[in-house]
Amino acid sequence: MTSRFLLLPCLLVCGLATATAVPPLLTYNNRPAGTAAEPLVLRTYLPDPDLDDSVFAHHDRGSATPEYSPEKGEDIPGTVVPLKGIPAAIAVNFGPALSYVFDSTEGRVLYAWQGGFLDMYPYWGDKGLGVRLFDYTPKLVGTLFYKASGPNPLEIDGRSVSELGRPDFVGYDLVEREPVFIVRYGPYTVKTHVRQAAESLGLQVSFSVEPAAHLSYRSEDARLKVAQKNATPATLDVSLTGAAIATYNGYEKMVKITKASAAAGRDLYQNYSCSVCHSTDGSMGHGPTWARLYGHEVTLADDTKVMADEAYLLESIKDPNAKITKGFAPNFMPPYPKLTQVEYDSLILFIKSISQPE
Amino acid sequence: MRIFSFAKNVLLPLALVVRLAATPVAQCYKIEDVSFPDNVPAEVGGIAFDANGKMYVALRRGDILTATKTADAQAFDWKLFATGFDNALGITVPEPGRILVVQMPEATEATDTDGDGLADRYRKLTDGWGLSGNYHEVNSMTPDGHGGLYIGLGTASHRSPTFFHTRGEYSAIGRRGRNYSSVKYRGWTMHLLANGTLEPFASGFRVINGIMVDDQGVIWSSDNQGDWKATTPFYHLEKGHFYGHVSSRIWEDGWPVGKDPLMFYRHDLDTYNKDRTRAAIEIPHEMIHSGSEPIQLPRTGEFGGFGGQILLPDDSGRCIARLMLEQVDGEYQGAATLFLSGMGLHVSNTRLCFSPDKKTLYIGQTARGWGMSREKDTEGMQRITWLGGTPFTIEKMNITPAGFRLTFTEPVNDAARAAAAYAVHSMTYQSRWVYGGEAENELDNAVTKVTTIDSRTVEIAVDSFTPGRVYRLRLADSLKSAAGEAVHQPEFFYTANRIPRAP
Repeated sequence: MTSRFLLLPCLLVCGLATATAVPPLLTYNNRPAGTAAEPLVLRTYLPDPDLDDSVFAHHDRGSATPEYSPEKGEDIPGTVVPLKGIPAAIAVNFGPALSYVFDSTEGRVLYAWQGGFLDMYPYWGDKGLGVRLFDYTPKLVGTLFYKASGPNPLEIDGRSVSELGRPDFVGYDLVEREPVFIVRYGPYTVKTHVRQAAESLGLQVSFSVEPAAHLSYRSEDARLKVAQKNATPATLDVSLTGAAIATYNGYEKMVKITKASAAAGRDLYQNYSCSVCHSTDGSMGHGPTWARLYGHEVTLADDTKVMADEAYLLESIKDPNAKITKGFAPNFMPPYPKLTQVEYDSLILFIKSISQPE
Repeated sequence: MRIFSFAKNVLLPLALVVRLAATPVAQCYKIEDVSFPDNVPAEVGGIAFDANGKMYVALRRGDILTATKTADAQAFDWKLFATGFDNALGITVPEPGRILVVQMPEATEATDTDGDGLADRYRKLTDGWGLSGNYHEVNSMTPDGHGGLYIGLGTASHRSPTFFHTRGEYSAIGRRGRNYSSVKYRGWTMHLLANGTLEPFASGFRVINGIMVDDQGVIWSSDNQGDWKATTPFYHLEKGHFYGHVSSRIWEDGWPVGKDPLMFYRHDLDTYNKDRTRAAIEIPHEMIHSGSEPIQLPRTGEFGGFGGQILLPDDSGRCIARLMLEQVDGEYQGAATLFLSGMGLHVSNTRLCFSPDKKTLYIGQTARGWGMSREKDTEGMQRITWLGGTPFTIEKMNITPAGFRLTFTEPVNDAARAAAAYAVHSMTYQSRWVYGGEAENELDNAVTKVTTIDSRTVEIAVDSFTPGRVYRLRLADSLKSAAGEAVHQPEFFYTANRIPRAP
C-alpha cells in the first residue's frame, strides 16, 4: 500500500521530467553543441576538409570567374576563385564524443570528427557585430578521423549504390533524438543511423534497406578499420575506426599588423567585411563607395556638406551614425570603436590610396 | 496600472463613440516589443499561426519556436518545436504540429508525430533548385491557397564567390554580374503544387524577400533595389513573365545556349524594356530601401482602415509602406506612402503576420548579419495593435485622365481645395546593370485645377501628365482635415505606367 502510494507520484514526476526535457535553444554562443542524450542537428554551409573530388560525384563544379565591375558593367582584370565548402549537408553533434556530416546531395556520411563541433563565427557573427566574414563557412573544431573517398561504399546485392543514379534525399526521422537519414537509391530506400562508437576515433553506422536486399560495405581507405555484420537480412551494422587525420581549432582571429600601410588596410577591408557594403570602384552599395572619397566633399543626410578628411574617416569608422551620408540608412553599419591605432591608420591609408581616379 | 486600465476602459470607448475627427497616428496604433528567451538571437525569418492560435517563429540559426501569444508581450512561453533548418525564411502551419518551412537548400515538412511538442519527422518537399554556396541565395515563401507554395529564390552576390562544388548544374554565364544566377532558378519564383511538382513560375528577381497571394487570388511580390532594380519594385506576378533582373534568364526554356543575358541587355536597354514586365509600383529609395514581406490589410475592420490595401515593410528602415493598387486598362498600378514610420519601430522589418483575430500585426525583424545598429534593434519581434481611429491622410489615390482623385480619411479644410496645397514632381527610373538608380527626366508638374467631389474627395489636374512616369505628390502644411488635423505622412508616389483615357 505504502509503496504503491509512493510509486504513483514518482511515475508522474518522472513522466513529467521526460516530457519537458526539451533540447536547449540555439543562442549567441558561436560554438553550439549537442550531448549524447540530445544530439544537435545543424544545417548550414559546411566546411570541406579537403575531401577527394570523387566524393562530389552528384555535385557540379563552380569555376574561377573574371572580376566584375558593377560600375562599368564589365569584367576587369583579376579572377575570383571559388571557395571550399559543402552547400546542402547536415551536421550532427553528440557532444565531444562525435560529430559527423551527412550530405543530402551525395546521400552519405562525408566526414566525422571528435573533440568539438563547429565554430559558427564566420557566418553567425558576433553579438555586438553581426557581420558575416568573406569566407562565411563555419570552421571545424576537433580531430578529424573519417573522410569519405571514392564512390559510395554501401553496396546493395554487391553493387555500389553510386551505380543506382542520383541519390534522392527523403529526409530524416529523429529516433530517440538521433537522426536516421532516409535516401532513395534507384528502387531502394536506405536508412542510415550514425551512433557513437565505444572506441575513440570511431563511429557506428547502421543501414537498413527496403525492399529487402543484401547490404555490404566496401572499405574506402586502407587506414580505416571496418567491421561489418548483417544482424538481419536487410540490415548492416558497420563499425568504422579511423586515425587522427587533422586537428582544427575553429576560427582564428585576424592577422597582426605592426606597421600601418595601405596594403594592410586592404586586408582589413576584407577581414572586417567592409567590402560587403563599400565598393572601391565607385559602384553603389549598401554604404558609400571608398573610391574618390578621401579629400572630397560629402553631402550628409541633412544636406550639409563635410570634407572627407582623416578626422571624418576616423569618426565614421568609430561612430558611423555621427554623420550619415545622404541616401544611406542610419544604423546600418556597426561601429568599430575598438580597433587598434595601427588598424585605423591602415584603413585610412587604404582609403587615401584610392582617392584619385585610376 | 490602474490609470492605464481606466484609460483603456473609459477613454477608448469614448474615443470610438465620439468619432468627430481623425486620430493622431500614435493613438491609433500601439507598437510593443515581444521578448525572446535570454541570449536567444531573435533573427526572425518567418511567423505563422496554427488553427489553435499558437504562434510558430523561424529563427536564422535553425530553431523553430512556438508560443501562445499573451497580452503581456514580455511573457510569451517560448518552446522549441523543431531545429536543424538552414536559414529558414518562410513558414506555414497546415495543421497544429505540422509545419512547412522553406530553408536555403529545400522546402521541408516537419511533423510532431508523437505529440510531445517536438517535431521528429523531417521530409523534403522539394529541393528543385541549385545552391552555389554563395551566402546571398536566400528564399521566401507564401502558401498558394490550394495546398501548394510559391517560393522566391534569391540570387547570389558578387561580394562572395560560389563553392568549388555546387548543388545542381553550374553555369559560368549565369555566374557573371553583380548579383548572379550561377545555379538553377536563382532569381526565379517557383510554384510547388500540392501534388509535389515544382514548376518555374516567373524570372527576373534579385532578392525576392517577400511574396503574397491576396484575397482575390492575385500574386504579389517585392524585390530589393540594386542592380537591374532602380527602385524598390512591387510586382503583380504572372506565370512566364520576366521581371527585370537579367541573370535568371539563363535558366529559361528556350534561352539560346551560350547567350549572355548580362551583356545582351547591358548593351540593349530598349530590348530590355520591351522584354521585362514593369513593377505595378516603383517605390523610390527616399521612401523605403528594401521591400520585404507584404501583407494585405483585413477588409473587415479588425485592424482599422485601409481594408484590402497592402503593407510593405522596409528591411533596412524604421517604416512600413502602404500600397494603394488599382487597375488601368486591366493592368495593376498604384501609389505608395508610409503607413507607419518611427514610433519605436525597429529597423530590418522582414516578415509580417496577423494574429488569427487580425487585431494584431506581428513584425519579424532580422538583419541577416548585415550589421547591428547602435541601438541593437536590428533583430527581434514587435507587434502593432490597432487601438481605434484612423489618422488623417489620403485613404485612396486613384489616377484620372487629367491627374489624380484623392480620397481622404476625413473631410478636408478649405485649403485642400486650392492648387497651392499640392506639389507634384515626376521622374522616370531606368533599371540597368548599376546598383539602384537615380531619378531621371525630372519635371515639376503644375497642379492646374482642384475639383471638389465631396467633403473628403478632390480631383487634381496635373500639367504635362504623361504615362511611364512616377509622380510624387506632396501635401502642403496648409492642407488639414476640416477639424484641423495635420496630414499623417504627406508624401505619395504614384507609378503611372498607364493613364486612363477620358470617357
